[in-house]
Amino acid sequence: MGTPKAALEWHGSTLLRRTTGILARVTDGPVVVVRAADQELPALPAQVEVIEDPREGLGPLQGLAAGLAAVADRAEVAFVCSTDMPFLHPAFVRRVLRAVTGDGENAVAGGDAGGRGDASSRGDAGSPADPGYAVRVDVGLPLARGFPQPLAAAYRASLAPLAERLVAEQRLRPAFLFDECVVARLDEAALRSDPVLAALDPELDSVLNINEPADYSRARERPAPEITIQRFGTLAGGRRGPEVIRAATVARAAEAAGIALDGHVVAALNGDQITRDGQTPLAAGDTVFFIAADAGG
Amino acid sequence: MAQLPTAPGGYFGRALVVDAGTGAASTLPLSDAVLRGYIGGAGLGAWLMHRLGPPGVDPLAPEAPLAFVFSPLVGTPLTTSAKFAVVAKSPLTGMLTDALASSQFAIAGKLTGHDAIVLRGACERPSVALVDGADVSFIDAAALAGQSAAEAERRLRDSLGRSWRVAAIGPAGERGVRYATISHDGRHAGRGGLGAVLGAKRIKAIAVRAATKVGSADPQAVLAAARDLRARSFGPATAKYRELGTLANLLAFNAISTLPTRNFQAATFAGAPRLAAEDLARLRSVTRNSCASCTIGCEHIYSARGGKKMRVEYENVFALGPMCEVSDPDAVLAASALCDELGLDTISAGGTIAWAMECVERGLIDAPWLRFGDARALLRALEEIGARHGLGALLGEGSRRAAEQVGGGSAAFAPHVKGLEMPGYEPRTMQAMALGLAVNSRGADHNRSGAYEADLSGDIDRLAGGHAHVAAAVETEDRAAIMDSLILCKFLRGVFTEPFDEWAALLAAVTGWDVDGAELRRTARRIVLAKRVYNIREGWQPRDDWLPERLLSEPLRIGSGRIAELTPARLRAMISGYYAVRGLDDQGRPGETDLTDLRLRY
Repeated sequence: MGTPKAALEWHGSTLLRRTTGILARVTDGPVVVVRAADQELPALPAQVEVIEDPREGLGPLQGLAAGLAAVADRAEVAFVCSTDMPFLHPAFVRRVLRAVTGDGENAVAGGDAGGRGDASSRGDAGSPADPGYAVRVDVGLPLARGFPQPLAAAYRASLAPLAERLVAEQRLRPAFLFDECVVARLDEAALRSDPVLAALDPELDSVLNINEPADYSRARERPAPEITIQRFGTLAGGRRGPEVIRAATVARAAEAAGIALDGHVVAALNGDQITRDGQTPLAAGDTVFFIAADAGG
Repeated sequence: MAQLPTAPGGYFGRALVVDAGTGAASTLPLSDAVLRGYIGGAGLGAWLMHRLGPPGVDPLAPEAPLAFVFSPLVGTPLTTSAKFAVVAKSPLTGMLTDALASSQFAIAGKLTGHDAIVLRGACERPSVALVDGADVSFIDAAALAGQSAAEAERRLRDSLGRSWRVAAIGPAGERGVRYATISHDGRHAGRGGLGAVLGAKRIKAIAVRAATKVGSADPQAVLAAARDLRARSFGPATAKYRELGTLANLLAFNAISTLPTRNFQAATFAGAPRLAAEDLARLRSVTRNSCASCTIGCEHIYSARGGKKMRVEYENVFALGPMCEVSDPDAVLAASALCDELGLDTISAGGTIAWAMECVERGLIDAPWLRFGDARALLRALEEIGARHGLGALLGEGSRRAAEQVGGGSAAFAPHVKGLEMPGYEPRTMQAMALGLAVNSRGADHNRSGAYEADLSGDIDRLAGGHAHVAAAVETEDRAAIMDSLILCKFLRGVFTEPFDEWAALLAAVTGWDVDGAELRRTARRIVLAKRVYNIREGWQPRDDWLPERLLSEPLRIGSGRIAELTPARLRAMISGYYAVRGLDDQGRPGETDLTDLRLRY
């Protein structure tokens, strides 16, 4: 690629900054980046934790083991992904996480797995027709765009010791992990059963990653996601009301709105979190409110 | 009454203490240690209440003092400095309250030659107190009975002369409504029921006339600072206040689910756009005005139907609109004007009425006419409160006392802290502010705790209160303590990049003290603790640092789908953190070292 994938430019930000920002929006736990020793990373918000992979060159299962171990005392379930997924949508992350955390989703996910007859050896998810069907799912594994997506999947943090054992045994493929735990496989229909995801990422572009320079060029040529902005108070001038624009970051949205994101202006994302960080990533369907930071009185 | 030779620049070194019962006046010397330790305004007022307020006094008893407290910056060309504090034990909370206001009254009052004017005792009949330099007298106020504060002020200035400045109460203050205001020049010392305290002394108004001058230690430095501050006051940090006024908050707060609605049953209001500054400004004629000595000009005066003009602020509209679910802008403007005429704190009035509307809905109060969303009911309720008849006899007591009388579990949704009704900041979605509201000495108040700044900063998760929220609550409370004592308008706060250092420079230029930012931080802490210690003396208990049960038991779903929940455990943890940072024990009480530092041993 010429440039480390993590540092590839993305609408004024970087791929890694975008990925960590999307995860931070979805989860309320820590966001951890696992890097190789001495690997240089682009700038990240202070809240993002960076840990070093103690054993390089052992593939994704080793990274998974290190990441899960880092969050094991603070989170039950982690979404694990690679850094090069510029179209990862928060709705996709939520859908996949729900396959493990529950909320009535296990039956659907487990049903898919059972129907294919490939439920793991240790954790047959059973049949949704069984009375009392319920299972403690360990992994939510999307099957999208023709492939299983172990690097866009949800894992119980308690799998860390299992992953470490497999690495020690030189069984380095994620499939070995799936053989020893309960996996809810989410095919495209299961993923699209989430109406929000179906509406905002109908092609499941969330799982697209970048492996070659041509992938990056094609991805970069795509238009930025469609979002809605609204300016409030003195920021509105004559432009009140919602306005649909395309922007991949809060800074680009502010530019499009003709607003300088300085100390006197903040952005509220979907009416929820407030930020001054222009690199905060945006995804299709987002709404950004620009309000005066001096909002008291 | 010239400055005492020993007084620092900006001070006279004395307070005037007036006994309204006898008409006698005396001066109370204010030492350099006291002035430097408490500065002026709300800080010096706290010290005066310790010094002059009998422990356990009924706030409406004659012996309860009420102080008009000035500050070292009053009379300088520094923008927004023409402010004063009115300080007393609140009849609403039973604790210390201080309310700030801006006008020429501050300048004239200080130039009577005093750093504070304290009223004690009570007149035999309704009277007006006249302070003309060191001379104090009383005149009969029978002809002013029942008049609005504005009308009383107009008549008094017509009869006394234009050089007099007048602060007065309206009918609500005369009748002892526990959230009555003191007003002057269209501005109000609004919170905590100070108008009722003055009314209990049978003082309709106090009129002051300047008799002397006050000098600064370094006039050239003060002038340079004034020019600099004036220039900065035209910048982006004050744009919101200049261009739309505080009502600009309404739509923004609605968008981020921080607009308390229907007595805190919701945090968004479908009718908000009808009440927004953006629409009101388009549909009504608006004029801008400034307080005395102010270059910001935040006042936005709207014309209602019938031509009546009124100053509209976010807090008026929040309390009389969304809280009561009233979306008719003319009704909200009329209700706001009625509060001004009666002399009522709009926040407490709206909060108490919203609570009563919910009580009616639940069958706890038999007043079927009082319904959420009914504009006529809102106006009728205000009239009855001002007159203290009908339901107004109950509602004039404020939501805490009214809930104690009504019972039926209504205390759980009475929207107050320490008896003071809550301002328009939803604690469940602003959890730094939740802490600020819970622990502040004045009660639920947005001017003594500016912790909402942290919630809106993007630096913390406003829905997940924790350590960062504690630090923010302490910092903003400290900043408020200094701004309220110097006194500078909080709308100016955004222009300071190193506030404590910059404020110290201003204070040094005026007084000649070698004060620095570190000293002002210690002063801020002292002022905050002095208020707390006063409250402890008057019966404060740890349970008073808390929020209404509704806010801790009814989570909100916000626009993003996220649940905003403030649990008792989380609030308790933040309060414990606050006590620790303040150096208090786990019951919220200061230690002996801090008590010594308060300079309360006279």
